[in-house]
Amino acid sequence: MLTLRLVFAGMFLAYLSGTMEAADNKPEAPKAKAGKKVAATPKSFASSNLLACKEFSNLIDLEINKKLAAEKSPASPKSSDAEFMRRVYLDLIGRIPSVEEAESFLASSASDKRAKLIEELLADPEFGKHLADIWQALLLPRISDNRRVQAEPLVTWLENQFNTNVSWDKITRELLTATGAQDENGAVTYFVANATVDKMTDSASRLFLGVQLQCAQCHDHPFVEWKQKDYWGMAAFFMKVQTRAPKGKDTGAPTVAETKVVNLKKNNLPEAAQNVPAKFPGDREAKLNEAAPYRPSFADWLVAKNNPYFSRAMVNRVWQQFFGQGMVDPVDDMHEGNAPTHPELLEGLAGQFAASGFDIKHLIRAICNSETYQRSSKPTEGNKDTSLPLLAHMPVRNLSPEQLFDSISTLVGKGNRPSKAEMKKQKQVKGALLRGPRAQFVAFFQPAEGVSQLSYETGIPQVLRLMNSPQMNQTQAFTRLMGKDMPPAAAMEKLFLATLSRKPTPEETEKMNAFLAKAGDSRTGLSDILWVLMNSSEFTLNH
Amino acid sequence: MSQDLINGLYRRDFLRMSALGVGATSLSGWMSVLAANAAKSSTNQKSCILLWMDGGPSHKDTFDLKPESEGAGEFKPISTSAPGVQISEHFPKLAKWMHKAAVLRSMSTGEGAHGRAKYFLHTGYKEGQGGLTYPSLGAIASMEKGVPGFPIPNFITIGGNRSYGSGYLGSAHQPLVVADAARGVENLKPLVGENKFDGRVSLLQEMEKAFHKDYGSEAGAAHQTTYQRAVTMMKSSQAKAFDISQESAAVRSAYGSTKFGDGCLLARRLVETGVRFVEVVLGGWDTHQDNFERVKNLSTQVDSAMSALLKDLQERGLLDSTMVIWMGDFGRTPKINQRGPKPGRDHFPRAWSSVMAGGGIKGGQVIGKTDKNGASVEDRPVSTIDFMATACTGLGIDFTRSIQTPIGRPIRLVEKGANPLKELFS
Repeated sequence: MLTLRLVFAGMFLAYLSGTMEAADNKPEAPKAKAGKKVAATPKSFASSNLLACKEFSNLIDLEINKKLAAEKSPASPKSSDAEFMRRVYLDLIGRIPSVEEAESFLASSASDKRAKLIEELLADPEFGKHLADIWQALLLPRISDNRRVQAEPLVTWLENQFNTNVSWDKITRELLTATGAQDENGAVTYFVANATVDKMTDSASRLFLGVQLQCAQCHDHPFVEWKQKDYWGMAAFFMKVQTRAPKGKDTGAPTVAETKVVNLKKNNLPEAAQNVPAKFPGDREAKLNEAAPYRPSFADWLVAKNNPYFSRAMVNRVWQQFFGQGMVDPVDDMHEGNAPTHPELLEGLAGQFAASGFDIKHLIRAICNSETYQRSSKPTEGNKDTSLPLLAHMPVRNLSPEQLFDSISTLVGKGNRPSKAEMKKQKQVKGALLRGPRAQFVAFFQPAEGVSQLSYETGIPQVLRLMNSPQMNQTQAFTRLMGKDMPPAAAMEKLFLATLSRKPTPEETEKMNAFLAKAGDSRTGLSDILWVLMNSSEFTLNH
Repeated sequence: MSQDLINGLYRRDFLRMSALGVGATSLSGWMSVLAANAAKSSTNQKSCILLWMDGGPSHKDTFDLKPESEGAGEFKPISTSAPGVQISEHFPKLAKWMHKAAVLRSMSTGEGAHGRAKYFLHTGYKEGQGGLTYPSLGAIASMEKGVPGFPIPNFITIGGNRSYGSGYLGSAHQPLVVADAARGVENLKPLVGENKFDGRVSLLQEMEKAFHKDYGSEAGAAHQTTYQRAVTMMKSSQAKAFDISQESAAVRSAYGSTKFGDGCLLARRLVETGVRFVEVVLGGWDTHQDNFERVKNLSTQVDSAMSALLKDLQERGLLDSTMVIWMGDFGRTPKINQRGPKPGRDHFPRAWSSVMAGGGIKGGQVIGKTDKNGASVEDRPVSTIDFMATACTGLGIDFTRSIQTPIGRPIRLVEKGANPLKELFS
């Protein structure tokens, strides 16, 4: 057993070093360990040829279909237009389509209408907002220490980065090296919200390397190669960073700066802390200029095209965003004992992502245009077992609180969002969080950390709010949808389109009409139907 | 009120509801299943209230004081109603109940990070082990001992911002999370009249059939179960238990008039109603800084709430059937750290204390022993699985039983090798 572990460890080290090349602040050159054979080294991502979108999508389908064939699992058919439309709206701009948007897409007979819709949504400002929702939750953990940290500067900054398609290496570098006041540079929020050396080390390794380093804080990790000296070696890059919170009458924003010298006392280190030279995790020691900031050296090493961890961590996260589960799951626990479901695909995607210069929209465009993503989520005979994530059909996923709120807002109108003036007023109240109805809703519906999108773990109090709170059941919304004199049958169809983004089936039409006839007053009956549709599994899930 | 009587009362209530035709007309699908299960309900079961001290309380400043040791701290030990058992001076009221409680001074659990420690102590399994999500003790109690068809969840968490859920046991045993005991569970009343609401719910069930048949997803099934549980609760008389404003001001102040005190009062009301497992969370024990001021304040909150809880349970004849557990993530370092103007203590899973009372526990005793500094266990170490097995034994659950998981692999409720503290039960 021990021997096996050693061999494994050796292979892993060789693998690591094999993918790295020498340069200043660049990962080190391949080095064969004395007495050990370098195992088959994977191709460096830096040398992958950039594929056009179509070939990139094909790469995904090829690998997914290969495994389906091996497991003798038949693929479900292509999704219907309505199914695809609802899914891609939720995945790209975080909400269901409006009635008008749904009608226009369903009516189009253009053969490339799916690809066109993907383009439109990628170019929509709501795309950046949706990605900002996802990333701000990761960058700004909702813990009690952060209850006074303003999220808004970070959200605005992220929104802008994603909408202008700033590359992932640039975004990451900016987050990791940001200095200044939070209201002038939203990126400093990341350090403000993870304001100790150990929190920053844990977070940066999980988010950008896909590795849980926190156990190595106190002891050498039993399965993972990275040891306590890797942890504290990485932590050393953050030893000179200081935050300053506004004090007393000072209403300014918190600031982040790198000081000239390491002040160990100020860093408030835990007992297990080791004072070791800065070291790139799993790699060599860093040569740092003591007078200069340390973080940029770490960022340069991290985002280098040939750092296999960086690209892989992001494509795995994006994969989880679209398919509910990473190829390595959990997404931040990539190590040699936790194998990917589709190893070649993970390497391929990571290679393409690096070759494209970490172009996020390029990666997402390829995923959304793939056959795999456009499959129906209805299982067929022979592919019902989902214990292996083969993606024979699309998985059914729970909506995030933001997706649910924005979808309900799409239905009932945008009146729920605070106006610019209101937001400005709230900002002026010192320390006050921006708590519009959306933020309150999100806080109430927030799932526990680590809950998979594939499971519905929304609680009873949340479901009670959806069913019984006046905010979730606004009558004016209904009037807005219905207009004045719409005939009941047409109105009913419109309710289906507004909530489920599809027309009712003949059986449903029959059932609903019978219900309406029994209700007597058709407006009351229709408001019952709207309640039913909004509380249905089909509305609440992304399928 | 005895548990038999409670179960009987609720069953009568339930039958009356069915007799009124609620089941027959509008909620046929769900209610008929519930009625069938109710017939099988067991009686005379035990309940558990877990007082979770989030962050990890310092053992040397609560239940294992070492006044002569290095890093002894500021607090003095006091004598209690249990001869020879001493606890912190900041538990004067609780000291009068120690003849009913056992102090476990030899907890030794190995996980020193909050998330992993809490997961391990709630479920008995390490996070991520075997690729499964494990059920917490509350979910196990709900499955094993909850009365089937009981209209409010058998596992309720109060005051915590995260719960350790039902894992592979599925959404029927998910905890109901009550964020603030004083506000209870909101939105229990429908916006429309009862009949209209029933009409809506039954149309919803009718309409959902096709979706669930076509998609057959785990998330869809859990969504449906959650709605069923919510609607059943809305319609139950037991939901009244969530309203602590029905208690007198004197009772609330006996519990300390704190958020945690309100939580303990709500826990008592829920156990009285027949809920099997209630967890009440008190945060703030992660005292890396300013340990003594904070532990004193938190201890005072625990002192009022826990003593009032034990007294109320005793007066209602429920103490023998209700096990009360006080514990947290881990203990804290025997030495005081040297950081900041107000130093504290850091994480310490190697040796720490928990307390168990009621529920058939033989009180007035101390289990295990730490060395002179409170730094290592000298006698009867209690591992996490030992602890889980003990709690299961107290609840009358066979902890060696295996459960068939959704991935087809049978998993024991508590892993092999657990050694429950038999000496706790007389």
